[in-house]
Amino acid sequence: MLKVGLVGSGFMGSTHAAGWAQTPAQFVGICSADTARAGKLAAQYGTQVYNSYEALLDAVDVVDICTPTHLHHEMTLQAARAGKHVICEKPLARTPAQGREMIAACEAADVKLLVAQVVRFFPEYAAAKGIVERGEIGKVAVVRLTRCAYQPKLAADNWFLDPAKSGGMMLDLMCHDFDYARWIAGDVDSVYARSVRSADPTAPEDYSIAILRHTSGALSNVEGAWAYPPPMFRTALEIAGDAGLIEHPAGSSTPLGIHLKAKAGGDAPDVGLPASPLAEDPYTTQLKHFYNILTGAETTPRVTAQDGLAAVQIAHAAMESARSGRPVRLSEVQ
Amino acid sequence: MRIGILSFAHLHAESYLGALLAMPDVTVVGIADDNAERGRYFAGQFGVTWFESYAALLAEKPDAVIVCSENANHRPLVEMAAAAGAHVLCEKPLATTVEDARAIVEVCQQYGVQLMTAFPMRFSSPALEVKKLMASGGLGRIYGVNATNQGALPEFHQAENLPFLKRDWFVDKALAGGGALADHIVHLADLLRWYLGEEVTEVYAASNTILHGGRVSVETGGLVMLTFESGAFASVDCSWSKPAYYPTWGGLALEVVAEGGLVTMDAFKQVMTVYSHSAGRPRYAWWGSDANAGMLREFIAACGENRTPAVTGADGLRAVEIVAAAYESVESGDAVRVG
Repeated sequence: MLKVGLVGSGFMGSTHAAGWAQTPAQFVGICSADTARAGKLAAQYGTQVYNSYEALLDAVDVVDICTPTHLHHEMTLQAARAGKHVICEKPLARTPAQGREMIAACEAADVKLLVAQVVRFFPEYAAAKGIVERGEIGKVAVVRLTRCAYQPKLAADNWFLDPAKSGGMMLDLMCHDFDYARWIAGDVDSVYARSVRSADPTAPEDYSIAILRHTSGALSNVEGAWAYPPPMFRTALEIAGDAGLIEHPAGSSTPLGIHLKAKAGGDAPDVGLPASPLAEDPYTTQLKHFYNILTGAETTPRVTAQDGLAAVQIAHAAMESARSGRPVRLSEVQ
Repeated sequence: MRIGILSFAHLHAESYLGALLAMPDVTVVGIADDNAERGRYFAGQFGVTWFESYAALLAEKPDAVIVCSENANHRPLVEMAAAAGAHVLCEKPLATTVEDARAIVEVCQQYGVQLMTAFPMRFSSPALEVKKLMASGGLGRIYGVNATNQGALPEFHQAENLPFLKRDWFVDKALAGGGALADHIVHLADLLRWYLGEEVTEVYAASNTILHGGRVSVETGGLVMLTFESGAFASVDCSWSKPAYYPTWGGLALEVVAEGGLVTMDAFKQVMTVYSHSAGRPRYAWWGSDANAGMLREFIAACGENRTPAVTGADGLRAVEIVAAAYESVESGDAVRVG
């Protein structure tokens, strides 16, 4: 039985902890800078807290890295040195150079590196991919993707808002749709993006639109925001092909309308999530798939570390374009 | 007010004529069309006089005319109308080149006739609500806009399958000025200039020919980024990406992210979906207010008072400049400065 360890106990750490509980994996333990939060999660899922990352690595076959983005690089290199497989939360790395090093280290150590680009596991996005793959809408021409939320809230150490740690909204959030656009329309040649720092001129960009030119000739319009009024979170996708069209506007497939009277002290959650109830949440679907890849039950990962690296590169090209005001070729951010 | 229509090449001529005929203070002088079959057809449909030449209609001394020809023919028709002393409502885009658009504005000034560019979106009730909200300061600073003005391939825009009603000039670069970029940038460019009260300073555009690739030679897919004086940016999807069997012709929608929050506007959402055995596919039935009628009312009022209309020829010229910059950007691959 595969032994899994989790590092990080924030929003994604707790989401993945719940996911692992749904797999046959042996959930060996959790390591986190926030030991109190780790303790709570460990109690909830019947596992233990490790006080050091090294100790956790010693005890596992695979480590699931759910820490802030800037830590992915070093933690992955350490895991590779220890000969452990890695599942890494998106974005794969803070910079393309770090991402490349991570991939090289895991290849050299002959361990797997899987990147949690979870949007590929959201059923509506996976369904649209299937429709495109089956040729139902022909050759892809124009892709429109939207993922807009409010500023992530964290009580202490809001690393999301520190560009050195998160890369900002254009990396942290838009990497989802940069990856998805590439999944649908293939490799990207160049990016032109505009952005704004609406909340604070010293904070990272929090609203941006990027136009991607794909090698195939297709174009993508990718919109991302942390500038929405809370608790709004909207995603939308549209794919136009030469033989058809897929439309999935924001809110168009929400099956429930629950409008309860406000309770005193009610507030929005820390990070907005779309509300569409499913028998299995996409994070669990993703971890089950990764489990099968690691055990050899499935051979082709739905998303590779190279895909994760490409998304980081597109995000960096977009940030450079927004900064310089000119279109940026992907070859410039290799 | 006596009004005539010059050419039925553009499908909007049909809705304009319908709206004019419903206005008690308007007399429709008639329609002229260099396509005699088409002109006679619509004259018969609407019960109005058909003139076999534009000069013959203008000889009737109409107070005003609406020019609905192919884009490239706007200039000669506006020149004739202005010389005949008729005020002009000209279909968008005002022209296929900046030079022609400028000439159209100048000739109307020279003959002292009013010139309005047909941008009906400024009279769309949902679009007006957004303008009101912005004008009241309710949104604060505008950061960015994600906008779409997509449609079906315009040559599908015909009510009946009669060969002389074919609108294939829309996909003829010489007559239309280009494809999707020429057709569908101008409405949003104008609406956003009006909303923001600012000019566009930079244009980036990317286009492709994947949609309807075997059928037409002009670009059918396009994404454009407009940057305004304040730094506000707007992405415009002008693609002809709606299939022929889509429930309606297309649409125009935008999302504004601003200091004060988020505003979404879909100008063509006031519809119900109709499933009819005879149609064989769903159709959106519009029940919202008629923006074209609002635009025509403003044109008639401006002509009657001999004042500048709410939407001017200069507005049309600015939009043509933006389209020209978009084509230049596609050509060079770089963002292009405007103005």
